[in-house]
Amino acid sequence: MTLAHYIALGAVLFVIGIFGALTRRSVIGILMSIELMFNAANINLAAFNRYLHPEGVAGQAFALFIMTVAAAEVVVGLALVLAIYRNWDKTYMENINLLKG
Amino acid sequence: MMIENVWLVPLLPLAASLVILFGGREREDSPMPFVGIAAMAASLYISLAVIFDAATGAAALPFEKEWLWYSFAANLGGQPSIFEMRAGVLIDGAAAVMLGVVCLVSLLVQIYSLGYMHGDRKFKRYFAYISFFTASMLGLVVSNNLIVVFACWELVGVSSYLLIGFWFEKEAPPYAAKKAFITTKLGDLGFFLALLLIFTYAGSYNLVRLKETVEMGYLPPMVLTLIGLGLLCGAAGKSAQAPLFIWLPDAMEGPTPVSALIHAATMVAAGIYLVARCYFFFLASPIAMETVAWAGLITAFLAGSMALVPYDIKRVLAFSTVSQLGFMMCALGVGGYTAGLFHLTTHAFFKALLFLGAGSVIHAVHTNDMRSMGGLSKRMPWTFLTMTVGCLALAGIPPFAGFFSKDQILEKVFEHSPVMFAVLVFTACLTAFYTFRMLFLTFWGDGRDHHRVDHAEESGAVMTVPLMILAALSLVSGWALEHGHAFASFVGSGGAAGHAAEAAGHAAAAGHAINPMVLAAGVTAGACFFIALAYSLYAGRDFSRAQRLKSLFQPVFDLLEKRYGFDAFFLGLVDLADRIAVLCRWVDIEVIDKVFVDGWGLLCRVAAEISHLFDALFVDQAVDGCGYVSRDIAGRGLRSLIARGQVQEYMLYLAVGVSLFAILK
Repeated sequence: MTLAHYIALGAVLFVIGIFGALTRRSVIGILMSIELMFNAANINLAAFNRYLHPEGVAGQAFALFIMTVAAAEVVVGLALVLAIYRNWDKTYMENINLLKG
Repeated sequence: MMIENVWLVPLLPLAASLVILFGGREREDSPMPFVGIAAMAASLYISLAVIFDAATGAAALPFEKEWLWYSFAANLGGQPSIFEMRAGVLIDGAAAVMLGVVCLVSLLVQIYSLGYMHGDRKFKRYFAYISFFTASMLGLVVSNNLIVVFACWELVGVSSYLLIGFWFEKEAPPYAAKKAFITTKLGDLGFFLALLLIFTYAGSYNLVRLKETVEMGYLPPMVLTLIGLGLLCGAAGKSAQAPLFIWLPDAMEGPTPVSALIHAATMVAAGIYLVARCYFFFLASPIAMETVAWAGLITAFLAGSMALVPYDIKRVLAFSTVSQLGFMMCALGVGGYTAGLFHLTTHAFFKALLFLGAGSVIHAVHTNDMRSMGGLSKRMPWTFLTMTVGCLALAGIPPFAGFFSKDQILEKVFEHSPVMFAVLVFTACLTAFYTFRMLFLTFWGDGRDHHRVDHAEESGAVMTVPLMILAALSLVSGWALEHGHAFASFVGSGGAAGHAAEAAGHAAAAGHAINPMVLAAGVTAGACFFIALAYSLYAGRDFSRAQRLKSLFQPVFDLLEKRYGFDAFFLGLVDLADRIAVLCRWVDIEVIDKVFVDGWGLLCRVAAEISHLFDALFVDQAVDGCGYVSRDIAGRGLRSLIARGQVQEYMLYLAVGVSLFAILK
């Protein structure tokens, strides 16, 4: 297993996340896709740390931080989703166009 | 050596005037006048010391001392050089005499004023002005630089304005002050033009250097004549020569001691002194000399005849001053340098005496009108006695001062031209007549206004003592100064010009000189005859003969009372100027304002309207158009196309953009 494998895995996960975020109709799906992108970045951080600076743990530590932040972000995101659902009874993205100019 | 300190003479009264003006509070018993009197006494002491030193030969005249005033880089005839303006003092015989006369008369006038101005609301200010007046005159006398002379000359004008208009709360004095100031300015214009010419052609204002330049013959005759006429013009304004004498009779509106000062020492003497000081210009130009002589002659006669009719005691004296100034001017014009200055000196004494005496009378009876006087000799014996001395001096009766100086002038004039001589002798006789008419009307006969005359009292010692001093001077100065040609040799010592002129005069007149004894006897007899005439007409209680004479010569009287129409002429001139001013105002308002200013404004407004229209129609529309296109067409179109509120679309753009950057680097 080389660094390239891990980076490739990270890239594949990230692209899947982007694809999901751009294409899912449901807000829940989009949040899940974003989690996928976070984890792709985490894999990269852990892998780079492991292969380029094996003596340090900054990458791993950073990955842990990101997980924490992601959890917090999911809390906020789900709260927003709940608020949207209560107001409009649905969570499809095409209906949520308040930012229209 | 006192002559080294002669520059203090004008500065002491100047300092005194400033101290009086700014120091202390205005009070009726303010002690400040004594500052002025002390300064004047110090100046007099210096002046007398200078005269004494010069007379005993301890100090050599002319004495010159100067300081650098300012300097600047100049380019003279293509050569760079430093021009230095120097100012200082130049004392020759004439200047020394003038210093003595001015200081003495001013001192006596100030002492006298203590009594005369007592109780005046502006007591302190009066003394500040009078010190300043004297300081300006003294500055004019000592200065060796014509620019400084001119400055002092104008300061004399300013202070005379302040003093003539001293009682400005009344109606007549401000008018008289303005008249004096403006009339003398008319003459000053000539002086100023002469100054410009002098510097253009001679390049210096230093009197000594100018004299050398002129005597070397560096100046063209035409220019010399113009300079001489310009200086004469200035002198005519200040010294009240025809036709600019109109201000002097009105100047009587000032306090009487001021009139004495103006008439005797400070103001009118300035013109004569200027001509004497710049005598070398006149010597170099026969035309200017002749003009001076004729101006003096005409003035002497006109003023002498005008003095015959007024009833205002000061006005008689004013006209007599003008007439005597004419005598002096005439003497200078015919080459009688010392004769003119001699008369200036003696005249200063007896005219100051007469004015102060008149002041004493006015102080006692509170009117200027001689018709309300009469019989005052018993009530005011000292004033009467001293004024009689003054009158005798003015009339030219030996051995009083006026006799000697007038005699010298007549002698000179006879050498020059018998016609002028005849007119002057006649004028001298008129002098005797009007002088004694005044004396008789005031002091002889019965009091015509009992209310006034019966309450008249002799003035206090502070007023009569100066009168007595002046009377003594009027009595002896002529004889003492004439004795052994003391005055002539003294004045000549500093001004070789005078000598040269007199030598020339003698040479020209070798043919027809008059026997001095015959002249003296003849003129005295004439004067006595006219005094007798005045006595018969005015001394008694009965004026019917005078009335008959008056009705016989009514047109002449009217002419004299109208002052030969000179006043009317100048008032007409002022009126004309007024009309021109009105016309100019009309042109200004109706033509310049309406056509040019308003027209230009209208034009600008029309142009502005056009510009505004263009702005609104094209520029603004273009700006709005840009905004409209970018906002309503392009903006709205793009918005409906891209910004549809779909977050996923935005994210797509972001992803595409980042990918593009990644790919394109």
